Amino acid sequence: MNLSTPGTGGAASRVDAAPQDAYNLPLPFGLHRLTQALNALGTLMIIGLMLLINADIVGRTGFDAPVRGVTELVSLSIVGIVFLQLADTLRCGRFTRADMLLDGLKRDRPVLAARLQALYHLLGALLMAVILWAAWPSLTESIASREYVGALGDFTAPVWPVRLMMLVGLSVTALTFVLLAVIDLQRGQRLAAKREHKR
Amino acid sequence: QQTIKLTAAGGHPPVFLWVKLLDEFYIPEVDKRLAAAGGKHKVEWTKAWGGTLIKIGAESKGISDGVADFGFVGTLFEAAKFPMQNVSYVAPFGTDNLGAVGSIVADMQKKIPAMGDTWTKNGLVYLGGTALDTYHLWTNFPVKSIDDLKGKKISAPGPSANWVKNTGAVAVAGSLPTYYEDIKSGVSNGAITFSTGAWGAKLHEVAPYVTKVNFGSMYAGAVVMNKRRFDSLPPEVQQVFREVGLEYDKRFAEAQRSTADALLQKMAAAGATVSELPAAERQRWADTIPNVAQTWATDLQGKGAPGTEILKAYMEGLKKSGAQLPRDWSVK
Amino acid sequence: MSATTVAVLSLVLMLLLIWGGLHVAVVLGLVSFVGVWIIRDDIGVAANLLAQASSDAIASHIFGVVPLFVLTGFLVARADIGKDAFEVANQLFRRLRGGLGVATVASNAVFAAITGISIASAAVFTRVAVPQMMRFGYQPKFAVGVVAGSSVLGMLIPPSLLMILYGFLANQSVGDLFTAGIVPGLLLASAFAIGIVLAAYFKPSMVYAGGEMPVPDGEDMSPLTMALKLVPIVLMIGGVLGGLYGGLFTATEAGAVGAALALLIAVLRRKLTARSFWEVLTETGHVTVAVSFLIICASIYTRMLAMSGMPQFLMELISHAGFGPFAFLLVYVFIIILLGTVIDSSSILLIVLPLMLPIAEQFGMNLIWFGVVTVVAVEIGLLTPPFGLSAYVVKSSLNDPRITLGDIFRGTGPFTLIMVAVLLLLMAFPALSLVLL
Ligand code: NA
Ligand code: NA
Repeated sequence: MNLSTPGTGGAASRVDAAPQDAYNLPLPFGLHRLTQALNALGTLMIIGLMLLINADIVGRTGFDAPVRGVTELVSLSIVGIVFLQLADTLRCGRFTRADMLLDGLKRDRPVLAARLQALYHLLGALLMAVILWAAWPSLTESIASREYVGALGDFTAPVWPVRLMMLVGLSVTALTFVLLAVIDLQRGQRLAAKREHKR
Repeated sequence: QQTIKLTAAGGHPPVFLWVKLLDEFYIPEVDKRLAAAGGKHKVEWTKAWGGTLIKIGAESKGISDGVADFGFVGTLFEAAKFPMQNVSYVAPFGTDNLGAVGSIVADMQKKIPAMGDTWTKNGLVYLGGTALDTYHLWTNFPVKSIDDLKGKKISAPGPSANWVKNTGAVAVAGSLPTYYEDIKSGVSNGAITFSTGAWGAKLHEVAPYVTKVNFGSMYAGAVVMNKRRFDSLPPEVQQVFREVGLEYDKRFAEAQRSTADALLQKMAAAGATVSELPAAERQRWADTIPNVAQTWATDLQGKGAPGTEILKAYMEGLKKSGAQLPRDWSVK
Repeated sequence: MSATTVAVLSLVLMLLLIWGGLHVAVVLGLVSFVGVWIIRDDIGVAANLLAQASSDAIASHIFGVVPLFVLTGFLVARADIGKDAFEVANQLFRRLRGGLGVATVASNAVFAAITGISIASAAVFTRVAVPQMMRFGYQPKFAVGVVAGSSVLGMLIPPSLLMILYGFLANQSVGDLFTAGIVPGLLLASAFAIGIVLAAYFKPSMVYAGGEMPVPDGEDMSPLTMALKLVPIVLMIGGVLGGLYGGLFTATEAGAVGAALALLIAVLRRKLTARSFWEVLTETGHVTVAVSFLIICASIYTRMLAMSGMPQFLMELISHAGFGPFAFLLVYVFIIILLGTVIDSSSILLIVLPLMLPIAEQFGMNLIWFGVVTVVAVEIGLLTPPFGLSAYVVKSSLNDPRITLGDIFRGTGPFTLIMVAVLLLLMAFPALSLVLL
């Protein structure tokens, strides 16, 4: 019979025994300020989308004057938003994952848990690096070919700013993954030292 | 026997004729001809249609990157990469003969190097091209004259937005899958599209007035192969791919054209009012809208491409095909 | 190694890594990367596939408005619009066992009429309904289960993105499909409601945190108070529904209108400062991004599978197996549910339908009914692990470490079973889908 709130037991014991993970901590070299700034830029774009779509609706129905290119801008900017905010989302520990195994480890083998987390964060950095490697030319190509969305004579918008946002976002996220791994390893060291000390 | 592994892909599902013919004609035909040639080579295909491997708008990149080896590139959705292939969209009121548009563009690609080279520059080998059946107008109000459009909202995205400029109608964004709901709910009062697409979207149910404006057939895209992959194939296999490509062109034009006519009749049978826009009104319409072709040509010239030459060649080709042209867009 | 072997191995590796606690998106991305690398023996192609999916998987107008739907939900929660509505619901339903669960299902059915995607429903109700249900003594696992479970109504009750896609692939009238979804949608909602009430009676520990229904306490609200508390929510829903069905804007645009209305109400009620508005926006961004990045990586995985040829192989196997109509339908639905454990909804339609529609047509099946059956079967995948998008959306919207992903999947379990039961009903009685046509 499950009478209690699921996970409360875990949460309670985590407070005294298990160490916190690396999320929500300030990053070395104050780099969390960078992730937050990128995040704020993405946030402003979300407000922009809301205003843009509402302006289009009002213009179209009230004044026979739709805002041109809303469809194109919406589909383009969502990509920019996601990559701009990716690093901060990661830093705040919002990347979805199953915590079953890790929660157990944090209780019973905290040092191992910290090192495993470091490994996972390095794998995340690896994924970012792979995408970054292949996505790099898209920016130069986009600028060189003057890539645009929309149609000539009606509405056009250049694509390169979004490509740039994607590359910046990927780089900063890769860096964040690495720094999180560093924090994990430091925590692992500290826990190992404490364990030695207790003996 | 040498086995060649090829991945075929496209952004559209096989309900669209250009993909359906790849799946049901091109691929089996290549297999058949290779077998008939003694079976020295055999292709092992992996097929991924409907954007499951590469998306509409990113098909050329997907194939040139090698994510797929072979497939269909919708130039319509990659106007920035294939501006020259999109000449028909800036020169509307052309011909309803889609075979003619296909061969005019194919011809231009041979004669104007800059245009033909677009494919190789993008890492692709051109094997065959297709045009869409002519664009018409589907509305929920009768259209006898261009004046009937005043104050109406028409779903006309991308380049077709320019076709309603100055007519008094407002172009509304959208895409084939959204037209039905947009018209039904009143967000727009009609749409400009081609018959085979309109049938798929069941437009005649919500916009039962079909006015045959004949904006013209539009060049839509091509069957291509990744260039490195193609160059690595034995010459006799390359030859088969090219030959089947030519045959694909022909079959596509025939099938799309007969289907388009039959579908308009089916719409009429289902209760739609199909009428032709009078020639005088078509002339008025063509005279009303701006000459975007000139903007387009100037833009291309600025990028070092022969925009003016291409526009001239296209209009010449249309004239030679015997089309009724209300306006020559190559004249400023 | 054959491509199909790679596909199967990738699945095993994926399950293992997800269980091990590696971020789900990272698992999907890396496993696919290695998979494509082996299939093509070309690391460049593998990296290109990842880069391309990153730039085009979510680059669509329909997806672009997701943050606005999320924002709407968060503002509704912040402005206490949802809280007030649930207080009234609690008052009205407090003698009905599982009453707030039923209220959540019902409001999800109403919300379904303004959204075409289930992600939106899941995000909104996680913020609005889960805290309220917990406040009134419901079991957290149950609360998240109800929200994730009833989010599927978003794509069954019109408007529906999946129906539009199906209509296109099957060349069927979208209007007819929408109409056909109404009765099955209401049927599913009722089945959820009945399931909740039955559970509250016969297994109250599943529903209530205290193991029993809390004794109703506090004073009764006067009818006037109740009416006043309902004004904001009625204004919001009325505004959006009215504009949508009055032809002012599309279902895609409804998110922007909803967000603007909620913002206006929040400001008028003085529930929002510049600072708290910024917090809501940041939160919106984090949830959208967590979900979007998952969708990008799921799309990478789907592309890897498409490249392996495995789905195609499965479909050809079925089409050549020579099943009778009933066996075909059962196998078809089973395969969809199976694919649904790892692949996202629209990709399943795109993979399955081109080969399966002709067979259904051969058997003379009504393609509208077939569409309803397909959509319900596909939507089951939103709830099933390891890749159950609705559960993931709930997880990121909730951001409460006490409620794990496992809890959410366990909470949705009963709702998945109810869906399967309703699906079987819909399969056995085509009239349920076709009655309004
Ligand atoms: Na809906
Ligand atoms: Na699933």
